Amino acid sequence: MFLRIVADSFGRRPRHKLLTGAALALGMGVATATLSVSLDVGDRLAKEFRSLGANLLVTPQADSLPLEIGGVDYRPVNAGAYLPETDLPKLKTIFWHNNIVGFAPVLELPVKAMLRFRDDRRSWPPNRNSWPDLLAIGVWADHALHLEDGAYFETGLEKTNPWWHILKGRWFKDDAEECVVGKNLARQKEASLNGGIPPGWPVGDNLVIDRGPSAPPLFLKAVGILDSGGLEDDAVIVPLRVAQQLANQPGQYRKLYVSALTKPEDAFAKRDPKTFTPVEYDRWFCTPYISSIAFQIQQELPGTDVRVIRRVAEGEGQILRRVQTLLWLVTGAALLAAALAVGASSAASVIERRTEIGLMKALGAGSGTVGFLLAAEQLLLAFVGGGAGYAIGIILARLLGERIFGAAPEPSLMVFFVIIALAGGVTILGSALPLRRASRYEPAPILRGE
Amino acid sequence: MPGQATNRAMFWRIIRRLLGANRGRLFIILLALGAGAAVTAALLNLQVDAQHRLTTEFRAFGPNIIVAPKRMDTETSPPTLDSSIIERIPKRFEAQPVDVVPFLYGLAKAAPQSGKNAAAATVVIAGTSFGDLQRMGSSWRFERVGAPTSALFSETECMLGASVAASLHVQAGDSVALHHEANVDRTSCFVSAVISSGGSEDNQLFVDLQEAESLTATHGRLSLVQVSFHGTGESVNRYIAALGSALPDAEIRPVRQFTEGEAKIYKRISGVLTATVAIVLVLSGLCVMAAMTNVAMERKMDVGLMKAIGGSMRRVLRLFLAEAALLGLAGGMIGAAAGIFLSVGLGKAVFGVAARPRLIVYPVAVALTIMVAILSAYPLRRLASIRPASVFRGEA
Repeated sequence: MFLRIVADSFGRRPRHKLLTGAALALGMGVATATLSVSLDVGDRLAKEFRSLGANLLVTPQADSLPLEIGGVDYRPVNAGAYLPETDLPKLKTIFWHNNIVGFAPVLELPVKAMLRFRDDRRSWPPNRNSWPDLLAIGVWADHALHLEDGAYFETGLEKTNPWWHILKGRWFKDDAEECVVGKNLARQKEASLNGGIPPGWPVGDNLVIDRGPSAPPLFLKAVGILDSGGLEDDAVIVPLRVAQQLANQPGQYRKLYVSALTKPEDAFAKRDPKTFTPVEYDRWFCTPYISSIAFQIQQELPGTDVRVIRRVAEGEGQILRRVQTLLWLVTGAALLAAALAVGASSAASVIERRTEIGLMKALGAGSGTVGFLLAAEQLLLAFVGGGAGYAIGIILARLLGERIFGAAPEPSLMVFFVIIALAGGVTILGSALPLRRASRYEPAPILRGE
Repeated sequence: MPGQATNRAMFWRIIRRLLGANRGRLFIILLALGAGAAVTAALLNLQVDAQHRLTTEFRAFGPNIIVAPKRMDTETSPPTLDSSIIERIPKRFEAQPVDVVPFLYGLAKAAPQSGKNAAAATVVIAGTSFGDLQRMGSSWRFERVGAPTSALFSETECMLGASVAASLHVQAGDSVALHHEANVDRTSCFVSAVISSGGSEDNQLFVDLQEAESLTATHGRLSLVQVSFHGTGESVNRYIAALGSALPDAEIRPVRQFTEGEAKIYKRISGVLTATVAIVLVLSGLCVMAAMTNVAMERKMDVGLMKAIGGSMRRVLRLFLAEAALLGLAGGMIGAAAGIFLSVGLGKAVFGVAARPRLIVYPVAVALTIMVAILSAYPLRRLASIRPASVFRGEA
């Protein structure tokens, strides 16, 4: 009988039920969309923040103090320590290896070098001491690193320094005798070559690097012009292998930039790890805080100092925290508004059925039975409407996510349960008030239409 | 025409009665409209403020423009700028503040003042002003000590980069002796803080600008100026162009890592904010509409009566629309004012700084509320098909 009354109520006024259900679905859809977007926004923005480049710097522990002013190191040549390149695949074996977006080893060295026009192959001015002093930066541009588990990891400068653009040409290939020239240096080319060169970027020209009196100079083909906006615009970028060869340090590098996806540091993460209890230590170790990733890298690469690039890491953390608070606030407002709308419409639907309630009571139904019946009906509507709303919301969230971040948020089961629970709770709450009033109804006046 | 005047008087009288007839219902409608207006105003205000606040927030990344001397090929020592350049940098641009911090770099020998392993080392000293340094490096970690207790009164203050402190075996609170490489005059300074930034600052020893001038035996010169402009995207580019024409003798370098990244991130964040705020606004509009529609449907009796005594549907509708607009105006004005106050508090919760109330938000929120109120009275159109007789019989 109970089920029959419920089914009959839906069958008798399908249009009305559809309207209430649609209101429910709409409200819950919007709630789903905002909830999905704000759950997802942290991860998306963290990825976006990687356009700021590396947030960790690895240097040799035994290194002497760099004496760098305006991009020029005033240390004696060959002072300082190096790190072995062969350790690098270990970076992808740490606990948070999936959070390591990219890394790039760097070896910088001063060279005497000049650009020669492409036709002057294998000829160079004899007085090598008068060649201009340049900074050569040895890096990986786009390097496929062979990992221990047999996979390849694509990494290099394009991951750690995404704001370095190639103005013209392309990046060098790591295994070719090629280089990329900073844009200021390329502009000065004419001055350093005493004319005879057509204007334009020296793409395709040769960079001649002095290798001391005993060896012939090294010829590198300039394949691109770099625009970094920084001091690198005055330098030449060469493959790491070439820099190692020039510095006579095979397989070594001096600093390593690491770009890692991290969780913003909270008060807990800012504590000194030495003061942690074992449980706290595990929690810290198993959370992708920048400090715990730095610690894990240091454990894998012995003899290194892993420093957090505070400008990037702290700025990122602060902005992420603020934006997330703001979004949760807005999401809260959205949920509240949805709840109000749904509550109001379910209240209205109960009020409209006063006559029916009166009739049921006249036929001897108790207040409890009537309330139970109506609540069951409302709940059924809530689940159907909530489910439809979830589907609408996921589509809406997809559209939003794709518009804003170019990637849709993953539908999450948690959101589904939250939405269904919210829909159920809100309809029950919304109907509770009119139902209580309904329980006090005297059947006779209602049936008389008073 | 007296008839029209009477008509108008009657019109307003009916509206007064409609509003006053049921105090409880009036209160509920005003509450719904006011709440909607409050959410609208609060979110709009917060949205406008958040976008502005984010550009300030981005300054946690530190300077976004570097003013450096033009590079000369012939020079062997590091080139410098004349210190008058500080005055020539515009300190305000497009109503946004600009922070300027000068630096003078040089090399000096440093040694711990006391201790057994007194390892002297050559370090880069950076002369600057400490107040500006702390503002520019808001993201750095400063390991500080209080005011010097045992140190000599005449001692100057200095801050050490983490690597410098490690290689000299010095901690905050110790003293460091400094002298120019070619000079034997020693000065000593009290280490008030150890800085870890992860950048080149870790390898520098910070002293006061005047102290650096005497250590490097220069006067009125600067190595570079760090500029932090509170803006993103295009406005930074415009500022750089303005700087370029104001300082033709210097090289202006945007810190591309941050100017580019910031512009990208700002776009994303404001996209998310705008989208969610728009959704919430639509939703609160729907919510108010649902409440209003219910009320409108309750008016069946009134409509029936008016039609029964000969009111044309147009006039009846006009009556209800005017009522809705009036309610929207009242609810909107109260709600929007409350919402703006609300956003001030919310801004404080999110950004730690109270959001500035923006006056433009107020009329926009009120107008939106009136629109929603009128739109939600629209279902009354369905009442046109009402036949008075059946209403009075309690049928339809």
